[in-house]
Amino acid sequence: MLSRCRVLDLSTERGFLCGQILGDLGADVIKVEPVGGAPARGIGPFVNDTPGPENAIGWRAFNRNKRGITLNLEHSEGRALLRRLAAAADVLIESENPGAMGARALDYLALRDLNPALVYVAITPFGQTGPKTGYVDSDLIVMAAGGVLILSGDEDRAPLRMSVPQAYLHASADAAGAALIAYYERLNSGAGQQVDVAAQESIGLAGQSTALAAMVNSDETRRMAGGAKMGPIRIPLVWQCKDGLVSCVFLFGAAIGVFSRRLIDHMFAQGACSQAMKDTDWIGYGAKLLSGEEPMANYERCKEVIAAFFMGHTKAELFEAARANNLLIAPIATIDDVRENPQFAAREYWRTVPHPSGASLTYPGPFARLSGKPITYRRCAPTVGEHNREVLGGELGLSSDALADLARKGII
Amino acid sequence: MAAKMALADVKVLDFMWVLAGPGITRSLADYGATVVRVEAVTRTDPVRTVGPFKDNQVTQEGSALWWNNNAGKYGITLDMAKPGARAVVHDLVRWADVVTDSFSPKAMKAWDLDYPQLRKIKPDIIMISSCLMGQTGPLARFAGFGNLAAALCGFYNLVGWPDRTPSGPFSAYTDYIAPRFGLAALMAALIHRKLTGEGQYIDQAQAESALQFLTVPIVDNAVNGSAYNPVANYDAMHAPHGVYPAAGDDRWVAIACRTDGQWRALCAAIAQPGLAQNPRFQTFAGRQADRAALDLAISEWSRHLDPHLIERTLQAVGVAAHTVQNTFDLAADSQLAHRDHFVEVSHGTLGKTSVENSRFKLSRTPARVTRGAPALGEYNQYVMGQLLGYSEDRVSELAVEGIFG
Repeated sequence: MLSRCRVLDLSTERGFLCGQILGDLGADVIKVEPVGGAPARGIGPFVNDTPGPENAIGWRAFNRNKRGITLNLEHSEGRALLRRLAAAADVLIESENPGAMGARALDYLALRDLNPALVYVAITPFGQTGPKTGYVDSDLIVMAAGGVLILSGDEDRAPLRMSVPQAYLHASADAAGAALIAYYERLNSGAGQQVDVAAQESIGLAGQSTALAAMVNSDETRRMAGGAKMGPIRIPLVWQCKDGLVSCVFLFGAAIGVFSRRLIDHMFAQGACSQAMKDTDWIGYGAKLLSGEEPMANYERCKEVIAAFFMGHTKAELFEAARANNLLIAPIATIDDVRENPQFAAREYWRTVPHPSGASLTYPGPFARLSGKPITYRRCAPTVGEHNREVLGGELGLSSDALADLARKGII
Repeated sequence: MAAKMALADVKVLDFMWVLAGPGITRSLADYGATVVRVEAVTRTDPVRTVGPFKDNQVTQEGSALWWNNNAGKYGITLDMAKPGARAVVHDLVRWADVVTDSFSPKAMKAWDLDYPQLRKIKPDIIMISSCLMGQTGPLARFAGFGNLAAALCGFYNLVGWPDRTPSGPFSAYTDYIAPRFGLAALMAALIHRKLTGEGQYIDQAQAESALQFLTVPIVDNAVNGSAYNPVANYDAMHAPHGVYPAAGDDRWVAIACRTDGQWRALCAAIAQPGLAQNPRFQTFAGRQADRAALDLAISEWSRHLDPHLIERTLQAVGVAAHTVQNTFDLAADSQLAHRDHFVEVSHGTLGKTSVENSRFKLSRTPARVTRGAPALGEYNQYVMGQLLGYSEDRVSELAVEGIFG
């Protein structure tokens, strides 16, 4: 679908996913790595637990559907080649700290002079300007700054992040949508622009607008093991059952209270709760808790009744009941469980991508199914400099001698 | 004169509700698309019933979560059971470039508004359907919120303490991943349509989008058999790495050291030069192995200090650190203020509301967030009159029929 779109992807692991999304959608993405390969190739986990430049799973995870070249941007000839590539590109993605591209005269303003139609995407922790633009960061730091870290974990211990880093995936995915908005606009105007993505703001979406609580004079939402405390109401999302854990929403109001009523009706039909609990108005229950009309202790007792009901059933039984009765319950899956979920198999979701070792790797499949041109995994992540000859020779017109000379000088 | 907005020529008929879908159309509205957001008169959008609520009052218009997900959209109410409402929707389909929905798969078909039907009305229409598990398969009709997709996708087991039941991510985690992928897919379809004149259908399973963020564990598990269980705040690339207590109620600071230099700078900052000299801690491997001892030493220092002071002190010497920000910190955050992250916008019944700005910035055609989320049915007249060109008489007849509820 984006087959006319040429993308130069200079990003580090902060931004790999952005180019991959564009590549999945059909763009011709050229990953530009330093000579010797991207540092991300040294970051585990590794295929077969064996370190090596083609084995880094984080690299392979987010660089499919890209061609790969090496280019030494610390060298003036390398920068000159990059400028030639940028002159013919539609989108450029970079994720250096603010100022680093400017120091190489490869910032937006410098490249705009060469190619006014270029969409230049910059992914950083805090954005291109501002008081924290020079801050040192990591996934954890961005989670903390974005207001999301404080919300997860157990209330009697320190807040917890997700152990698989997430902050830059949010930023990179935002960057892909942003790049395409700019690219769409360019089809009308003919002009490019800079896209400035700050991971702090991107990850903030996962705070579910609790960022606004102070401003609107609302109770603060606080973390709680397996749930959250919204003001005085302790809302569990993780429940123990006979053979493991399920997630279940037991909440109130005109929309979600309907599901709670169904759950209680289902329990009543099984003899698992009292008539009084069945007759409770679950729609208006939250408002009564907040006003004090309903004592919080009653709510806690209701949750104990539900917890006891869950302890009498397996994950599979509860999920089956949820599907049959339209309840908000699902089993909490391990990664093994996810891979065995029949839904994904039925939709032929998983994709197998070959690995140079001869092994084949299983990937999550397409992020969406487009009838126009379905997403295919047409290329696995490139080897170091795999397409140097094709891109710099075939497309940029450098001779074999010139390429050999560049290699000798350590530029490619 | 400012440049025309990026999506000024895009018209969207938006049946999305709750969170994962409306996040997509909020971005479209930010960049100038005309988004007509349809609300059912019989079924309240759950987001209107979830806080934070203005002044803690649970009211129909008072949810800041609703404001944040629907700013800039033209909201109308329709009773789809009324024949007149169907005719209005058909006119809106003819008007629109994009039709969106985030119901469970049966709803649009029941209204004869599935993609084959929409195509008959408008051959080049783009339709995106976003639901929890996808339009097909045994779980297609399993409806629910993002916490359930997060459970089924394996996110819960990744947040927690090794000695306890997993804590899980905050709230409906996949609802914050899916909109990004939906937006990218939809923008690609709009680009394709502009170039070729062809519409298309997009089936987005929120779970399938969200699993992109777990690509590393999926690949690792499949090839190496690795299990992913709770490890608290452990990180393979950083040590020390964690969340440390600061002075005050539930105050914390995040600190992460990657290099030897950062480690030495941290030791100097916490006035523990002895730690830096200690041979046990001179290598990264040593610090990682003995991280519990380091965590203790840092906590002894940090617990007496303001988190913002720690953040500034450590950042000044090149150590990654940040206050673990709560809602009050965010409201006062200098960086967010610099980026105009919070904006005050007009609202039909409340006067003014606060929402968050677009989470990315386009330099030449920036987002303009000026109108708040629609009050229930606020734009019924505007959409019928201005966008569809109906006469006042026609609109009155429709109102009498009860299509607006």
